[in-house]
Amino acid sequence: MKIILRFIRKYGPKLLYMILFLALWQGLVMVFKIKTFIIPSPIKTLSHIFVPEIASKYHWFKHIRATATEILLSFGITAVTGVFLAILITWSRFLRNLITPIIILMNSIPKIALAPLFLIWFGYGILPNVLIAILIAFFPVVINTVTGLNSVEDDLLDLVRYLHATKLQLFLKIRIPNSLPYIFSGLKISATLCVVGAIVGEFIASDKGLGYLLRDAQAFIDAPTMFASLIVISSMGLLFFSLISLLERTIMPWQLDKQEKSR
Amino acid sequence: MKIFSILVLIFMVFTISMWAGGQDETEGATGEAPQELQKMNFQLNWKVMGDHAPYYVALNKGWFEEEGLDVNIIVGQGSAYTVQALDAGKAEMGISDAPVPIKLRADGAKIKIVGIIFDKHPNCMYFWKDSGITKPSDIAGRTVAVPASDGHKVMWPAFARLIGVDPENVKFVNIEPAAKVAALASKNAEVVFELYTGKPFMEKAIPVEELGYFIWADYGFNAYAHSYVARDDVIENNPELVRKFLKAAYRAWEFTLENPKEAIEILSEYHPINKDDYLVNLEVMMDFFKTDRYNENGIGYIDPSRMQETVDTVEKYMNIDINFPLDDIYTSAFLPDPMYFYDY
Repeated sequence: MKIILRFIRKYGPKLLYMILFLALWQGLVMVFKIKTFIIPSPIKTLSHIFVPEIASKYHWFKHIRATATEILLSFGITAVTGVFLAILITWSRFLRNLITPIIILMNSIPKIALAPLFLIWFGYGILPNVLIAILIAFFPVVINTVTGLNSVEDDLLDLVRYLHATKLQLFLKIRIPNSLPYIFSGLKISATLCVVGAIVGEFIASDKGLGYLLRDAQAFIDAPTMFASLIVISSMGLLFFSLISLLERTIMPWQLDKQEKSR
Repeated sequence: MKIFSILVLIFMVFTISMWAGGQDETEGATGEAPQELQKMNFQLNWKVMGDHAPYYVALNKGWFEEEGLDVNIIVGQGSAYTVQALDAGKAEMGISDAPVPIKLRADGAKIKIVGIIFDKHPNCMYFWKDSGITKPSDIAGRTVAVPASDGHKVMWPAFARLIGVDPENVKFVNIEPAAKVAALASKNAEVVFELYTGKPFMEKAIPVEELGYFIWADYGFNAYAHSYVARDDVIENNPELVRKFLKAAYRAWEFTLENPKEAIEILSEYHPINKDDYLVNLEVMMDFFKTDRYNENGIGYIDPSRMQETVDTVEKYMNIDINFPLDDIYTSAFLPDPMYFYDY
């Protein structure tokens, strides 16, 4: 009983907003007689996901699995290489001057312009989609981590230097732990960018995935399926973001206390 | 969450007001008549290509003005957008692939086909000659790259049946339209579906003697494709506008087909195009006008039985119920009298 009450207190308002929003959407579509190909009603849209007779045509599970694989792979690689690159950049002036311009150049490329090239280089499938997601997502991780690694109090640095700490010790014990909040805020941004990146990759060339499904629905001017795919894609983004937040809270419970207090 | 909901609300209200506001805009546009010219918006189907030259010819030579029209040509974003924009009142007439207004009419769009552009269907498949494909049915079991949101994938089951292939027996890869040449050139796909008008661009990447292609229409595919469309209420309240536009447009087509080079020259005065590429592009399209039907009846003629066939195909393969009679989706009443012809 208590658990149910707590659940309602915690998620009740969110659920209520959601229901109100859907009701409003349905109401507006009905009152203004908005045609399906402009904005489909939520009932029609959701039926394409949840009503088995309709949904089975779209093989949701296959497409969700493909996109989820791409998101997880690209995020894993982004997180590791992003933090590693940031450490390299902070490690020495030489490496910073070497790496930073390349990263900025790569981030400035409009990824969709790479479409024909990626198809030639890597074909289609999971690999090119993961690569595109990484290209789109890695920038915030690197930049945030670099900021974090550099934002150590000068007094603290003076102290450890006085104690003859090695550069490695300085990174492992001071700079990296200090940058954790920054790394996580970078990771949170890149988590949603990985979702975008996977879909962009699937737009360029794919034989499965939610981006594939979305493009198919476009070809058939099937607005409910387009909206349904978008809902699934953004729900995946939301879920993934929440997972990262949960991880953040587990690794740095003190950070959460700080946030609560500052409210 | 609260802020999010409010934002979504604002977005929805905004979208709807734009959609509703669009209609007012048009009324204003057609209502006022400065210098006694009737203003109208004409929505193209895609970014400017060789086949859009006639509208600029008609502008340039003053043929729209002769008909009392002040035509504003709007660059397009695909057939679905054309029909949506027309239905929302953002343009009076436009160009669309024929299946789109048929499908969307079943969903409530009030759009009609009022004239045909290409008489021969431009759908085409490309492949390397050394891939062992010698007839269309050899496509069975192959990997086919198809640019998303052009009509090939939608119409594929109909064509597959014609050539005796199980529609499920190919592996589709959806690709970005910009990647269609690369998909075939790099052999990442064995077959690429792309309009016949894309041939000059294919030939830039693949040697002419190694590039194989089949035009679907040559193997019995008989649906209608690029057509002029207009909104029902424009046809009802302002039939002369439709008639006048079509007269100037087909007159310009006749000129363009007979003077392609000059037409592209005129187009280049309005848009920064590569004239050589666009001329080749236009010359490829001219094949779609060299049909017995157009020879006998004139450019733009609508064949009722063929329109019925197109509607049947759409009903069958786009999962819709055709809830309207054939006369609702097209009318031949506004074609020029006399018709224009292409002497080749």
